[in-house]
Amino acid sequence: MKTTKLKIGFYGITGCAGCQLSFIFNEDELLSLIDLIDLRAFPFIKEFNLEEKFDYVFIEGLVANKNDLKTLKKLREKADKLVALGACAHTGCVPAYRNFTLKENYKHLLYMKRTEIQDVKPTPVDTHVNVDYTIPGCPPDKNEIMNFIKDIVKGKEPKINNNPVCVECRRNNNVCLLDVGKPCLGPITRGGCNSVCTNGKFECWGCRGLTDDADIKLLVKLLKEKGFSEKIIKQRMRSFVGLKLPNLEKIMNE
Amino acid sequence: MVNLLKLKKAHLKKFLNKLKNEHKLYVPVKTDLVRFEEYKGDIYLKENSYFPIKEFFFKKEETLFDYNKNKISVPEKESEKRIFFGVRRCDLNAIKHQDMIFIEKFNDPYYKKERENSILIGYHCNTAPSEFCFCGSMDLKDCQDLMFFDKGSYFLVEISSKKGSSLIKKHKEFFKNTDKKITTKKIPNTDILHTKDISNLYNNPDWKKASSMCLSCSACTALCPTCYCHSIHDEGNVHNLNKGKRKRTWSSCQLKEFTKVAGGHVFREKREDRFKHRIYHQLEYFKERYGVNLCTGCGRCISGCPTRINWLKLVNEMKK
Repeated sequence: MKTTKLKIGFYGITGCAGCQLSFIFNEDELLSLIDLIDLRAFPFIKEFNLEEKFDYVFIEGLVANKNDLKTLKKLREKADKLVALGACAHTGCVPAYRNFTLKENYKHLLYMKRTEIQDVKPTPVDTHVNVDYTIPGCPPDKNEIMNFIKDIVKGKEPKINNNPVCVECRRNNNVCLLDVGKPCLGPITRGGCNSVCTNGKFECWGCRGLTDDADIKLLVKLLKEKGFSEKIIKQRMRSFVGLKLPNLEKIMNE
Repeated sequence: MVNLLKLKKAHLKKFLNKLKNEHKLYVPVKTDLVRFEEYKGDIYLKENSYFPIKEFFFKKEETLFDYNKNKISVPEKESEKRIFFGVRRCDLNAIKHQDMIFIEKFNDPYYKKERENSILIGYHCNTAPSEFCFCGSMDLKDCQDLMFFDKGSYFLVEISSKKGSSLIKKHKEFFKNTDKKITTKKIPNTDILHTKDISNLYNNPDWKKASSMCLSCSACTALCPTCYCHSIHDEGNVHNLNKGKRKRTWSSCQLKEFTKVAGGHVFREKREDRFKHRIYHQLEYFKERYGVNLCTGCGRCISGCPTRINWLKLVNEMKK
């Protein structure tokens, strides 16, 4: 164990702050957890933030405007290790869905009225800077964030789940949603969420991103065989991991 | 000792209610799937349970010990007397195979405790409950405490162990003597795996047909009544990092992570190798060490697979 405490910062760019909140939801353990580290900056809950050098910066959100990019690059320089916290930072998540729709479909909604916002192509953090670790999920599981911090404090290599959601889903004795006619993305999606959605019979939309071992082609083939339309398959696959599937169109046509 | 008795079907529920008073009684119940649940008056015997009863013995998650620096303490576990009613022959044999590992070879105290306090009452299949059942191809034995044979209006009850015999003695008012006999324990049309010797098939190119259909989701191993691969990890206590728990959880040879070792090397990188490893462990590797096939032919790895990979058909056709 290190004798000096790790200097840590929590920051958010475009996002809903839910991932930072998920960390805070460790209520009973939070004070002990903060004791283990030197929490230098956390603008979401702290008024005074020491913004110098960090051992680890946890960043929530994606790059959706020019300010995000500036903040991100500045933090990357200050951080020894950068941790992408949550689905927006990891894959672009739902805000990146506008990459797959025409500007006419959304421009009347907000951005044309707010001229001070200079929007850019919404993209996850790793498009712009080097990312050392990723804690996936929309939002990430609170225990996962806690275990990550415990590991880095102990000087252990943090372990991020790389098994499909099915592992936990079967362990929770759920009926397989693919067998009951739902377009579940569990087999290609990274687990670690304790299959929270499928436990409630709500199919997986892939918020935790793809496993290293995901077979997209095979799942697309299976969903097609089960009678799901191309539109549904594309919508689902693009909701959270669209930018990580640049070949989806090609796979769909095979 | 009389080893065959008769129980009227109309008396089954009365008998189960009696058992329930002294034990925790688990029976197959139909909900969204057929599952083993605590007996509350309903029982469903038309299909085998979707999930095997493995989880009641080899727990999905087990705390092996609590640690505090160099000291460890094994948590005291409350054990309750349990009866499982309606367990099929394949699943009973599967438990026997797990006994070989966790009791006979390694003497695992966690598993042993769960087993010692349990009585297993079998239910014999008159017909194969699923099209993928292949227990007829496997060499199954009697390893239950009692076995119920469904004869329409009554059950023939075979007493197969001391535990079973003393349970019957306690409740002898329900049972009558009989001169009937059990002629066969083979379940018709279940010998659909034509060869168990796959030792010379390892390099057969047809394995690719199966592995190309595999999502690596590990449903097959989670639903398998015999698969026992697990991983062990430490959970540190945030209030004092010297303290924590060491836990054992289910894992699966079908996952890439399973064979990842320190330094990041993965032994079975290819899906084909992982798929073959499962089948070879079931039919070859276990037999080399323990003298029996690990697989008991329940067919769940096919019926529960999202893409229904029928490896029986594959192996049958390879031989030809």
